[in-house]
Amino acid sequence: MRAPTTAILRSDIRGERRPRGLRGLAVLAGVLGAATLASAAPAGPERPPLPSDVGRHPTVAVLPTPASKHWVWVNDFVFPHMADGTAHLVDGDSGRYLGTLSTGYSYSHLVLSPDGRWIYSPETYFSRGTRGKRTDVVTIYDARTLDPAGEIRIPPKRASDMPVMGDVALTDDARYLLIYDFNPAQSITVVDMKTRRFLREIPIPGCAFAYPSGPRSFFSVCGDGSVVLIDLARDGHVVRHHTDQILPMRADPVTEKPVRVGDVWYFVTFDGRIVPLEVKGDRAVVEPSWSLTTAAERAQGWRPGGLQQLAVSVRLHRLYAIMHQGDLATHKDPGKTVWVYDLATHRKVQEIPLKRLASSIQVTTDAAPLLFTVFIDGPDLDVYDAVSGHWLRTVKDVAATPTVLITP
Amino acid sequence: MKWFDELTERSARGIAKRTSRRSVLGGLGTLLLGAVAIPLLPAARGAEIPRTEDGKNPHWDDPTSCDYWRHCAIDGFLCGCCGGSQTTCPPGTNMSAVTWIGTCHNPGDGRDYVVSYNDCCGKSSCGRCFCNRNEGDTPMFEAGHSNDYNWCSGNSTANIPYHCSTARILGAVG
Repeated sequence: MRAPTTAILRSDIRGERRPRGLRGLAVLAGVLGAATLASAAPAGPERPPLPSDVGRHPTVAVLPTPASKHWVWVNDFVFPHMADGTAHLVDGDSGRYLGTLSTGYSYSHLVLSPDGRWIYSPETYFSRGTRGKRTDVVTIYDARTLDPAGEIRIPPKRASDMPVMGDVALTDDARYLLIYDFNPAQSITVVDMKTRRFLREIPIPGCAFAYPSGPRSFFSVCGDGSVVLIDLARDGHVVRHHTDQILPMRADPVTEKPVRVGDVWYFVTFDGRIVPLEVKGDRAVVEPSWSLTTAAERAQGWRPGGLQQLAVSVRLHRLYAIMHQGDLATHKDPGKTVWVYDLATHRKVQEIPLKRLASSIQVTTDAAPLLFTVFIDGPDLDVYDAVSGHWLRTVKDVAATPTVLITP
Repeated sequence: MKWFDELTERSARGIAKRTSRRSVLGGLGTLLLGAVAIPLLPAARGAEIPRTEDGKNPHWDDPTSCDYWRHCAIDGFLCGCCGGSQTTCPPGTNMSAVTWIGTCHNPGDGRDYVVSYNDCCGKSSCGRCFCNRNEGDTPMFEAGHSNDYNWCSGNSTANIPYHCSTARILGAVG
């Protein structure tokens, strides 16, 4: 029995990691255990083979690389226990739960490096759980092992808010990580991901969030509807331009949940009006707006809602919106249908009925995209074909209070 | 509020026992540790607050109820359910230095009042009597009018851990 057992041990090493320092002990225990079992076995008729994991070492899984385009990170701020933020990785094709990140207090969401090697995660910790010294860091995780591979200390000012994509973003050249601060003074923390050092803090009084707009540029939106354009290109030197009041606020304001296609950010108002904002260099131009709803649909109370209420497929040039019926004050309510629009014609091309309520949606970036949906009050992740709209599967018990969905 | 009715129904059927009133309201998608000084829209209020046959809010004077008149713009765990009251933080917590206000109508005397929703900070979420009266909120671009920020932010003593929310009267309107 010893020889086959040893062969199993060796083959099991592939694709898995073992805890350092325990390997020798594990080998010894595994072999001795198998030997004991073998010697104790009574003589007699031939028995079925032992389970394949007999004598197996303690092992830790690693993720295949590169990441599948059909994976999704379900970020969770765990509202009833906010010190225990998490992010959950799920394979949309198989429905398999792949792994977890544990990400600290009032968690927003992670950012994936474009080369697929790293996961960047702005996190907040207290030395005594919910009290004591506050420490904010960007934790860098190895995307294959999900181990912390590095840590960058940042000012303890990271915003604690309902998680939205604008809380943290990477410039298009992947050099700078931008983190929204609110204490309650507003600023952007800039972290150099090449040198892995905190670079600077940029005050943005009266404005909020970071929306990338170029290799080393981004913009923030101000409460009066103006936009501040910030360029980091010149040796880290900040060049800023402040526009007029170009985005609608007040009675029917744009939400802080836009989606991007190239140079255009698509904002949506409480009443379902799409406001495209084209940002190039130091210019920001609002293109003609259009509505997600017809007059008849508006009369029936149809409007967008949710937390991550819009998604986009750049390849298909389609916009997805969570829709529900309600008055203006229901602008954050979840919906049980997703309406799909052709971004060129602005026409609704599809209605996707959902199996359950959704407050966040995401569409994968490949040519045969999946549509993911979660509801902040439910633990399950639903997966749909983003082209046909057909429901594919439900992954049960993924998160406690799922917020923002992120795909590779 | 069809979704709210649906969840309530689901909960009543026992399919989702975890879906309490607290978690249902949490599903509004708002952290709402801040809120705004705009009275509730009648339609939205009607959707959330149970009414008697004559249209009155039966819990308007119950401080432990989400339907209490002062809670017109609150979002969070009611401190009255957490060891404090609508004016007092629970033991061991710290009242936020930064606050947000609402303007609420008191059916008892027919007057409108400015209500200050100071958060109590420094411990993990109380988890009791979640109350979300979301109407009138603005996007986080307008920070002073948004209910999606944690207003324990900026508290110098306890920092950002959020525990519960009070509802203190600052004064009468007009």
